[in-house]
Amino acid sequence: MSNGFLAHLGRAYVGLILFFLYAPILVMAAMSLNASEFYQLPFRGSTEWYARLWHNGEILSAAWRSVWIAVIVTLIATTLGTAASVALFRHDFRGKRVLQVLLFPPIAIPWLITGTAMLIFFFGIGLGRGTPAVIIGHVALALPYVIVVVSARLATFDRTLEEAARSLGATPWQITRAVTVPWILPGIIAGGLFAFAVSFDQFVVSYFLSEPGDTTLPVLIYTSIRKGFTPEINAISTIIIALSMGIMLLAARYSNFGGER
Amino acid sequence: MAMTLAGRDRRRALALLSPAYLWLTVAVFLPLSAMAFFSFLSDVPFGGKDWHATLDNYRAFFQTATYATLLWKSLKLGLIVTVVSVVVGFPCAYVLAKIVKGRSREALFLLVILPFWSNSLVRIFSWAIVLRGNGVLDRAVNAILPWDVKLNLMFSPTAIVIGLVHSYLPYVILTSYLALQAIDDSLIEAARSLGARRRTILWRLILPLAAPGILAGAVLIFVPVVGSFMEPRLLGGRVGTYYGTVIEDQFVAVFNWPLGAALSFILLAVVLAILAAASPILRRART
Amino acid sequence: MAEVRVENLVKTYGAARALDEVTLDFPDGGFFGLLGPSGSGKTTLLRAIAGFVLPETGRVLIADEPVENVPVEKRGIGMVFQNYALFPNMTVAENIAFGLDVRKVGAAEKKRRVTEALDLVQLGAFGARKPHQLSGGQRQRVAMARAIVTRPRVLLLDEPLSALDKALRVDMQIELKRIQREIGITTIFVTHDQEEALTLSDRIGILKDGRLIRHGPPREVYDDPRDSFTATFLGDARIFSGTREADGLRLADGTLVPGAQGATIAVRPENFQLSASEPNAPCRLRAHLVQKIFGGALGTCLLDWQGEVIKVVGRDADFRALPESGPVWVSWQPEHSVTISP
Repeated sequence: MSNGFLAHLGRAYVGLILFFLYAPILVMAAMSLNASEFYQLPFRGSTEWYARLWHNGEILSAAWRSVWIAVIVTLIATTLGTAASVALFRHDFRGKRVLQVLLFPPIAIPWLITGTAMLIFFFGIGLGRGTPAVIIGHVALALPYVIVVVSARLATFDRTLEEAARSLGATPWQITRAVTVPWILPGIIAGGLFAFAVSFDQFVVSYFLSEPGDTTLPVLIYTSIRKGFTPEINAISTIIIALSMGIMLLAARYSNFGGER
Repeated sequence: MAMTLAGRDRRRALALLSPAYLWLTVAVFLPLSAMAFFSFLSDVPFGGKDWHATLDNYRAFFQTATYATLLWKSLKLGLIVTVVSVVVGFPCAYVLAKIVKGRSREALFLLVILPFWSNSLVRIFSWAIVLRGNGVLDRAVNAILPWDVKLNLMFSPTAIVIGLVHSYLPYVILTSYLALQAIDDSLIEAARSLGARRRTILWRLILPLAAPGILAGAVLIFVPVVGSFMEPRLLGGRVGTYYGTVIEDQFVAVFNWPLGAALSFILLAVVLAILAAASPILRRART
Repeated sequence: MAEVRVENLVKTYGAARALDEVTLDFPDGGFFGLLGPSGSGKTTLLRAIAGFVLPETGRVLIADEPVENVPVEKRGIGMVFQNYALFPNMTVAENIAFGLDVRKVGAAEKKRRVTEALDLVQLGAFGARKPHQLSGGQRQRVAMARAIVTRPRVLLLDEPLSALDKALRVDMQIELKRIQREIGITTIFVTHDQEEALTLSDRIGILKDGRLIRHGPPREVYDDPRDSFTATFLGDARIFSGTREADGLRLADGTLVPGAQGATIAVRPENFQLSASEPNAPCRLRAHLVQKIFGGALGTCLLDWQGEVIKVVGRDADFRALPESGPVWVSWQPEHSVTISP
């Protein structure tokens, strides 16, 4: 009796949390469809701000840059990360623990520190700011996530399958291609989606590493907000959040929540 | 040349591992070392500038109270956001892990975690829209309450805390949920069969067993909040000066990189100390 | 100590009836085994007595007091779980003391009773250990000590030995029986292992599809199973059906089983004899020996009769004279033909 009451109370509480998490996002999305430039109410529906995005060259080029940077980052990080995961899974050697611990700093150290350190170092070696620097930084941030997600999938892999393949005469390369990769493919896909999200949503590191006037979308939004809010920002923000949530829903399907941030 | 089997094995491992770790070295570990080096310079060592080794940057931190006060302010912000997130998030994780059953649990859990993986900058912006003067929240509150209220939350410390809790709440829900799910339901049944009431079970069984998960979540919130700068900037306005925003200024406005490096490095030391203190707990939480 | 009684218990999960009008008495101080295949409702019945399962209708009485509306924590039960459910954050002594803490027992009294309980399960020196430092058998004993230290009115055991390997299980059966006798507590336990049920209990109840099929002292139920499910589930049995005649049972192949009282009879495999030549016993069949299985002191022979298998269990020495395969005679004494309902 009291148990049922508590269960209802608990569900109501989760509902309240969800309201807290989603309400501002929905308000922002609603305002992107409001005709008033100054967020005036009453609400009058309009898709004007989305139409305007199409003619805003600055936003379009930043959006395009964000996407292709994220694609390159995903390809590099997924390849390198999967290779490292397989090595960490298959081989036992001294210092393996250390290598696993070394994945922690890029995740745990605030991006403000990592970002400023990258800025200093890239200037020191003559690379400076710009898209190559952004890509190098994003890959480093995405790598640990890929390794964690792919390793989680590998942990469910039955080692005796590889041993069976070996006993049947397969070379390590054949084993990888025919046995290991098909098994961990969902992990690789999930890891790739995480890498894409890390890069596409990344603000801090891009902020310090990108050239002014040649930035990614989040950096452009940040500088625009500081000048003042416009419904156009709402519109592009709504698109971004819908996109990144969609990607994470896909990743969740492949990783079974296996990836922790 | 003949190679032993073990040797070939090692070479294969090295070939698979080195690209990833070389990348991390170039993009993370060398930059962190460079930052340490920079923090002892009088000026940037390129562009034909004059520079020499100095302790002035660290002296600046210790001689004027400004930076230490701001660091303390950021640490306090981290503490408040962490405590609020744990107090609000743990019951939610408990409901998800122990009360909701079946498919709706999975769906609800995904919904709670999802915003965490969406763009944090955009989410802070959404709060700015909600909290701004005469904005949505003001109107909603005034529509419900009969008298006139001016909340004026925007550009206040409260706004910063709300935005940061919104950003990091899913973290502690995730880690607590994982810890709570690992607690076998039969343990709770056993405690009940021994005569324990709900409150006893919570304090003597559930909280001790979930503690590593809660603490892991707390550390993972506290650390980035101490180093936050975008959230205070956008939601704090004039009161939004924190340790993180000062570091940002050194790199994008004042262009005193060596001072910025020293301030970053001090923050790194604080962060590492916290992570080191928490590492036994974090390790327990993972197993 | 107390008598437990359940009356007309019904519990449904969707369309399935986990408990279907179950009425049963658990005598004071007795050791009662609940037995049945998985999904038979035996665990649901135990959990209904504990209070974890709330039946839709029916009553649960502990010492004549109805407890359907009493929550688990106030029913005064002790329970041992299948996985033991030891609290991993507490030492062995703290685990055992938990129920006493909840009851606000004083420090001196608590210490005395924990020590007593540890001694009873012969783990006197293990109080300071954590559960993960114990072997399976030791954990089982701690779970037992924790369940009885509060002096519950009834002790409920949910497959208490199923997580142990066979040799340890036999030891623990003896141990469990000793502890139960020493404190004389009403004990109800669930098992799917019929041998374990026969060894431990002074009464057993057999469930199938949520219904109580049969209950009584183990020997009585074994010797007179009354229905084919009990006959084949508790031990093993060959069922013969045919036409009832004045002087016996006429089987499909024309054989007359003299003295049989019904249309269906069961014969235990250990009550068959095998011989190469025609025996004197009044009940006999001509069958074909298919395989002899060596099993140490006891052996098993598999026979084909009318396309069906007859299993015969006996001393291996008695089977030695038989050929590896070929025609043989199967015989048994008329008193071993047990009449059952089909």
